[in-house]
Amino acid sequence: MRSFPLFSSCLTALSTLVSAELNLSQPLLSKQVLPATFKPPQVFKNANLVRTTNLDKSYPRETINVIIENVDSKPQSEYYLPFESGLISRVGGFEVKDKKAPEKGIFKVEVVEYDTESPTEFYLIHLPTPLKPKEQQTISISYSVLSALSPVPAQIEQSSKQYLQYTFSAYTPSAYVTEKQKTKIKFPNSDVPDYTSLPADLNADKKPDPQKQGSTFTYGPYNNIPAGAEELVSVRYEFTKPVTHASLLERDIEVSHWGGNLATEERYWLSNLGASLKNHFSRVEWQKTSYMNPPTSALKALPLPLHPGALNPYFTDDIGNVSTSRFRPGVREAHLELRPRYPVFGGWKYSFRVGWDADLSSYLRRLSTGESYVLKVPFLEGPRMPEGISYARVHVRVVLPEGAMNVKFSTTVPVVDTAITLHKTFMDTLGRTTLSLSAINLVDDFRERELVVTYDYPWTAGFRKPVVITLGMFAVFAVVWVVGSLDMSIGKKKTA
Amino acid sequence: MPPKSRHTQTSPPSSSTPARPAPSSSSSSKASSSSALDAQDIVLSVWNKYLEKTPQRVKLLDSFMGFLAVVGVLQFVYCCLVGNFPFNAFLSGFSATVGQFVLTASLRIQTNPENKAEFESISTERAFADFVFGSLLLHFFCVNFIN
Amino acid sequence: MAGTEGDQFLKQATGRNTRGMLRVIILCLIAGAAVSSRLFSVIRFESIIHEFDPWFNFRATKYLVQNGFYSFWDWFDDRTWHPLGRVTGGTLYPGLMVTSGVIYHLLRFLALPVDIRNICVLLAPGFSGLTALATYLLTSEMVTSPSAGLLAAAFMGITPGYISRSVAGSYDNEAIAIFLLVFTFFLWIKAVKNGSVFWGALTALFYGYMVSAWGGYVFITNLLPLHAFVLICMGRYSPRLYVSYTSWYALGTLASMQIPFVGFLPIRSSEHMSALGVFGLLQVVGFVEFVRTQLPSKQFQTLLRALVLIIFLVSFGGLVILTLSGVIAPWTGRFYSLWDTGYAKIHIPIIASVSEHQPTAWPAFFFDLSMMIWLFPAGVYLCFRSLTDEQVFIVIYSVLASYFAGVMVRLMLTLTPIVCVASAIAFSQILDTYLDAEMPKLEMKENGTSEPAKVAATAILPDGLRSTRSPLIGVYSYASKLTVVGASAVYLMLFVLHCTWVTSNAYSSPSVVLASRLPDGSQHIIDDYREAYYWLRQNTPDNAKIMSWWDYGYQIGGMADRPTLVDNNTWNNTHIATVGKAMSSREEVSYPIMRQHEVDYVLVVFGGLLGYSGDDINKFLWMVRIAEGIWPDEVKERDFFTARGEYRVDDEATLTMKNSLMYKMSYYNYNALFPAGQAQDRVRGARLPAEGPQLSTIEEAFTSENWIIRIYKVKDLDNFGRDHQSAGAFDKGHKKKRASKRKGARVLRVE
Repeated sequence: MRSFPLFSSCLTALSTLVSAELNLSQPLLSKQVLPATFKPPQVFKNANLVRTTNLDKSYPRETINVIIENVDSKPQSEYYLPFESGLISRVGGFEVKDKKAPEKGIFKVEVVEYDTESPTEFYLIHLPTPLKPKEQQTISISYSVLSALSPVPAQIEQSSKQYLQYTFSAYTPSAYVTEKQKTKIKFPNSDVPDYTSLPADLNADKKPDPQKQGSTFTYGPYNNIPAGAEELVSVRYEFTKPVTHASLLERDIEVSHWGGNLATEERYWLSNLGASLKNHFSRVEWQKTSYMNPPTSALKALPLPLHPGALNPYFTDDIGNVSTSRFRPGVREAHLELRPRYPVFGGWKYSFRVGWDADLSSYLRRLSTGESYVLKVPFLEGPRMPEGISYARVHVRVVLPEGAMNVKFSTTVPVVDTAITLHKTFMDTLGRTTLSLSAINLVDDFRERELVVTYDYPWTAGFRKPVVITLGMFAVFAVVWVVGSLDMSIGKKKTA
Repeated sequence: MPPKSRHTQTSPPSSSTPARPAPSSSSSSKASSSSALDAQDIVLSVWNKYLEKTPQRVKLLDSFMGFLAVVGVLQFVYCCLVGNFPFNAFLSGFSATVGQFVLTASLRIQTNPENKAEFESISTERAFADFVFGSLLLHFFCVNFIN
Repeated sequence: MAGTEGDQFLKQATGRNTRGMLRVIILCLIAGAAVSSRLFSVIRFESIIHEFDPWFNFRATKYLVQNGFYSFWDWFDDRTWHPLGRVTGGTLYPGLMVTSGVIYHLLRFLALPVDIRNICVLLAPGFSGLTALATYLLTSEMVTSPSAGLLAAAFMGITPGYISRSVAGSYDNEAIAIFLLVFTFFLWIKAVKNGSVFWGALTALFYGYMVSAWGGYVFITNLLPLHAFVLICMGRYSPRLYVSYTSWYALGTLASMQIPFVGFLPIRSSEHMSALGVFGLLQVVGFVEFVRTQLPSKQFQTLLRALVLIIFLVSFGGLVILTLSGVIAPWTGRFYSLWDTGYAKIHIPIIASVSEHQPTAWPAFFFDLSMMIWLFPAGVYLCFRSLTDEQVFIVIYSVLASYFAGVMVRLMLTLTPIVCVASAIAFSQILDTYLDAEMPKLEMKENGTSEPAKVAATAILPDGLRSTRSPLIGVYSYASKLTVVGASAVYLMLFVLHCTWVTSNAYSSPSVVLASRLPDGSQHIIDDYREAYYWLRQNTPDNAKIMSWWDYGYQIGGMADRPTLVDNNTWNNTHIATVGKAMSSREEVSYPIMRQHEVDYVLVVFGGLLGYSGDDINKFLWMVRIAEGIWPDEVKERDFFTARGEYRVDDEATLTMKNSLMYKMSYYNYNALFPAGQAQDRVRGARLPAEGPQLSTIEEAFTSENWIIRIYKVKDLDNFGRDHQSAGAFDKGHKKKRASKRKGARVLRVE
């Protein structure tokens, strides 16, 4: 395993990304399995921990800033973070950085479990440089939890407010003793009708728990919480916005050297996880209220910002074109506004596909070595909404030209599965080289992340298609010619 | 017979109207028995004329047609007496017989030298090739239909 | 094709070959024009399947492509006609689906994985190109003038009468059937002309293909025997006729019986008996002719003629007896309605309710055929002038088809080919006469100009005229030539304009998607159908049963992918009547019917808000009539009319009307959209009652943006075992009761 800092110091920015992420992009699915008796060695302690839970969007985003200290006698580099086993499959975008030096990149993490029936699983964080005894380091752990919010009440009137409930532990889960900790919760607004109050004597300052400050609540501080301690609390707050969730996103990026075109197609399976309608949908009410444009829990539109230069967008679903989309090309950003056929209320689903073309030259660069190319595309695009969107599964396919070889890729998005296959489509003889990447539990924060693919494409491969087509045409003509003359001879024999 | 000469005079040979149809011939043993209503000498004269005028090959075809007619009648009688339970099978058998009969009749008409004027675009070999083609199709359908 | 042409070109490079080459190019251009003029709908809207039936064909094709041929053959579809299901594999004409399936796999094999939907959408335009080709061949067999063939092909390519059924997206049986019809006729003419078994067998093959593709094959089944019969009656029996007819009949009948849906019909039903009769007649005639050549006695001939007549009468009598005794099925109802247009209205309302089974309105002829409607008789007259065997065919065909087209709108389609052929004959006669030239080159040029790019004709015509200086027999005068030719050119151009206009305006709407113009002239698309269907597809359980009028059955199956009770394959009248009864009865009657059929959702089409006239209230009387046909005691059409015999939806509507489920579902909650008492139905121009209808057994589940589609959910049985009426009254009246109690109490206190 190459050590990250060593390389990062001596390589250029782009290649840093490449080399570092090549390590990271190894499948997370191949979990390290440990015996059931495993307990993380108590080599660390959390000197100070501040957790921020952000509920602005339709999924909670957690950020844990913690000062860790090595209490062992030897340098240590493996830090564990526990999750309940049901929860860990919904945790996405788990990233750890050095709080003091975030530019150094992301630490290597992996999932650890000790057997399938254990109630706890761990994320194992590898510190890039082992922490010497008695030394401290501030790390910043961030992740988001999908499908963690439940609407309460589960059924609402069409135009009434929607409330979501979030249940979590007031003590931040940790495998180590935490000397001092607190949890901040940021709500989208100050309408928080229900929340769990903890007794004041648990609190280190002996104040009422939680502390309220506008739309921010604070649980804690608490002192000397042992490892694995849990204190469940739940909060219920107003969120009259759609809880948009994509159970699957398939994203195809097709590179065409001949056409100089980069075609992107995305297929979404969306659903709204918000509160469902108590009565059925009433068009009268919808039409009456839509003039005032009040906040609603229904998904009305999906604004989809595209890179500048996007062309020929289309928006279809299983039964054809959806005519209610608008496209505004712009210099800085092309803007595609999609409107589903019907407002997607809580519990409803909507699946569709959207695609567009772009000029390949702004994404592809030829390396000076000659036949190698570097393709830089966004790993994830998709709608950008203030309330956010979460993806349970994302499959990205990069279809390279026929005959492309030595495909390598790098990305900062945690990828769980990769494969390189052949994809056979129009006029292909061998099939196009296809890079398939899968990621789970992503959120719209990952929109900006990039996917860099390098591959070799010998110039001879570019001529395969025209040659094959020409040969095919010649073959057809030859067959026609042979059959034609054959027919004639039979006719003559007959008429003779 | 006159029609032949008139035919060539009045109209171009290819397609336009023959004022009267040129001589044609078609025969079957079933048909000969039906004409037995008339006087016996007519039958006899027809028979004699047939025997002396018809080429050997055409006689062969005629006997085949006669055989087919007999088979067809037998099938029909069997169907009437015993019942038509596998209707598909009966139907394909019967229509195979009928189809083969008319195809053979067509072949006979086409190859008959008397009909040369009608079928100038069709040589004897061509007629036979057509006959084979038609029969192949016929039996393909029959086999497919018989289940 | 180009290859073989090129071969010939190489082998003997003569003038005739260049002419042939030119003809090929012109034909290709015609085919191109035919295809491209059908793409309006794709350009204006999108690549989408149109109308109603095509959705079923599309669904069946997808099934075929996914599950293979054999399971398609045995396909039992349990997602339609719930709870009966439908033996789809045995009750459809598979030709269309198999054709697109073969094309799909062929393209796949050639490494062109085209989406099956695009194949289905573009199949009809593709085949229309072939139809133009077949028309050319057919016409060329009829007359010697080669320009007639090209003209006919061009006419066929762009005539609205054919385009109406073959625009891109109208993926219906007719899409390939018209090509097969014309091509079968071409082969038949070829067979009759040559007296060849080969051509006869080919006719039979294409006839079999036609049988597999369209129920209209009966037209061929009767037209060919009629042609043969007329020829015999005219004394034109020839061995060629014997050969071609018998080989066609023997092979064609067997071929047609291969289709499960047709099965034994060719020997069992009356529609096919004429072909059998003529077959028998030909055997007799053939034999008699044979005997006659042997015995040239005149008396004997008359005797034999009498014999023929007797045999014919006897067999006809036998046929009648068989029909009466039930061995042979009598004529079907659809067939009767061809003879008596009023028949269906009285006896089979379900057939009469189909709009394409209505008698044709006169303007439709001009609309669909334009100038050909007056060229057509001229062409038929020209055929009378030199009455050859094949021209007899044109005469018979035109007489029969004109009649049928007058009886049923749909059969305009069978008339169109012969109109094109006949008017092309007439038109080419005009052009040949007035553009008469001794130089063959000129004639060839003329060929060139008579293809769709007729605009070019005017440019070349003067040249042609200048070169005809030398004296000729016939019309010499410059002026008269110029007038006539100019006028014809103008007519041709007008024809092209008319066709383009009709195609783009009348026949290119998918009817699933409606288009309207915004005040600023831009196109606004009203997509309510798909909005509602997609809502059903996404947000209801996979096996939720949808009840709607049968018109929408195929669309629900295709777009919403949900089981339906009835659909456009109207095979079970009772089931349709059940739905009609549920729609036209009171809720208390409808609810048990819906429960019995496990209906989850009810879908109605309502055009009142938008002024969309094809909605269910306007179709409602048919539902009533069809239901009345089965339950005359429970549903009465009279009850839906006011005392003055008017069909109204406003205040004066009858109680039966106001209480019917259809009325309630259409107008439920509608008046909430308007200020009190102002609710307006824009289709019927009626002001609705101030108080809207109340529903108790079903509840509104979804209404599309423009209210065209309204979907209702059928309520489950009440938890307390009450009926929904009283449950609803209880929920509503709870407060009232309390209020009255308080009143009572107050009264007590006063005392």
